[in-house]
Amino acid sequence: MIFKLILIGCSTDITSRAEEINAFVAENLGSGDHVGSTILFYSPEEDRNELLRLVPTESVKLVCIARYQPETILEALQTVEKEEETDLYLFPSGYAGSELAVRWAFRTKGSSLVHVSGIECRQNQLIAKKKVYSDYLFGTFRLNKKPYCISPVRASAGSVPVQMRRHVIVGEHDLTLLCKDQFIKASRWSEADTTASLEKSKFILIGGRGMGNEKNTANLRELAGSLGADFGVTRPAAMNAWAPMDKLVGVSGAVTKPEVCIVAGASGAPAFYAGIEKSKYIVAINTDSKAPIMRSSDVAVVDDYKPVLDELVKLMKA
Amino acid sequence: MNILVCFTVMPELELMLDDDWVVDKNLHIDVGFLKQSLNCFDESALELALRFSEAAQNLHLSPKLSALTIAGPEATAMLKTLSALRFDPVVRIDSEKDLRFQSMSIAAILSQYVVDHPPQDVVLTGIQSGIGENAKTPLLVAEMLEWPCITQVIEIEPVDETELTVTCQVDNGLLQQTIQAPCVLAVGNAAYSYLRVPTLKDRIQFGKKAHEILYGGDFDALEEGVELMDLNLAKQERSGTLIEGATPKEKAATLYASCLKERLKKL
Repeated sequence: MIFKLILIGCSTDITSRAEEINAFVAENLGSGDHVGSTILFYSPEEDRNELLRLVPTESVKLVCIARYQPETILEALQTVEKEEETDLYLFPSGYAGSELAVRWAFRTKGSSLVHVSGIECRQNQLIAKKKVYSDYLFGTFRLNKKPYCISPVRASAGSVPVQMRRHVIVGEHDLTLLCKDQFIKASRWSEADTTASLEKSKFILIGGRGMGNEKNTANLRELAGSLGADFGVTRPAAMNAWAPMDKLVGVSGAVTKPEVCIVAGASGAPAFYAGIEKSKYIVAINTDSKAPIMRSSDVAVVDDYKPVLDELVKLMKA
Repeated sequence: MNILVCFTVMPELELMLDDDWVVDKNLHIDVGFLKQSLNCFDESALELALRFSEAAQNLHLSPKLSALTIAGPEATAMLKTLSALRFDPVVRIDSEKDLRFQSMSIAAILSQYVVDHPPQDVVLTGIQSGIGENAKTPLLVAEMLEWPCITQVIEIEPVDETELTVTCQVDNGLLQQTIQAPCVLAVGNAAYSYLRVPTLKDRIQFGKKAHEILYGGDFDALEEGVELMDLNLAKQERSGTLIEGATPKEKAATLYASCLKERLKKL
């Protein structure tokens, strides 16, 4: 199978996306008769040579664009891939990668699937697995129109640092004059809190619907500070505006991988659990012994979270 | 500016017990007994549209909001709520097809509706549904209409009759763009996540207005290229060792000494 990795150098999280895609390739395309190469998009502001270090394949095509804009990238792909025969395009995880995978499949009359956790290459078809039904179920899908365009779910195969290697640059395109964003009249980027810090956290305390209100949420956040933990919430808590959306943990928020994760007052719905399942150690505290989180944790405490955590703070400070 | 909000109602899956997840030979699961509610991203899209409309009226603009779903009669209560909130028209496209994993067909139906009911300036919808989790529909609608698409939208504000300001989440920040309609906007984790409740007066006055029903069979479907082969329950089990103790103090002491002390020391 001929596969191509798409890397977006204009993205601030290019390193983690490259490591994720490297892990996905190792796990899913590591054996078998596959030939891989990379298409790296970057803008003139980026250090091209630094970005090349993140390219997992020997063969690489470089495409310089003015700035990241999905319409521009799709148009650029059409330009540089015109004569190419490719079976599988592997886009990065996350919303940008998903968007490009779906739209590129449409334009190339291929088939797409996003949030994919694993693939298996077969003769004239690709078998892919992903979660469906709010993450309660795994669906197995058959893609039967080439090119297959895939975007993995975040951290599906973990991350593997890209080894230093010599690259063969098979094409270099300057498409900085290509502009497909005329519909944008003005734009302004501003720094804002994001879930990125939670994704790097080693120790997290997460509150769920059981917090009950904004005041209890603020109290739990304070307790997290006393424990030395970062603080996150589940979707019901975020939707009730007890905490801002950048504290949301789950499939549509932060996908965390801490050493220790304490979950207080959350039932453990699969869409939330997807955000903590890579945790090394999970502690659940809940008044309901039958809540799904209790059997999804390493240890479980059946009790009101508040007095248990208050005591924990005292023990840690002793 | 005409804004069409496309939404789905879905069963509240968290009420399912493990034994309820029975997959039949056609890969269907009976969820008909569950309460229906709005898909969370679509709910934000509907509320954002209402807030946009209020802001536009303050600028002496004349926004028009309409709502569209592809669903069976189970969506009727929600359609009445949206009529009471002054979405007009409120349209249900009835389809007997299994569209759970058929994003191309869904997008074809939605984009055909946009073409057949001009003028439409903005298609606003949630970034993904809860059943299929396809996360493809707004993107495919944009491709089919050849309109630009912005994803991860969290806020929209009017500028004039043809332009609007769209705020979306991007890597490490927020991107605020003033854009020219038409466009497709896919709503992500917006702060306004609940749809307001209509007043009783509006329910009585507008909620009983008949919604339009179109038939999905009238719309052309496209070849999907993706076929569901199997469904299995996703296991998320760990040991779940219970911490024993008579009081919270005792439980905390055991938890700390046996499970956390050494682990936290290494951080």
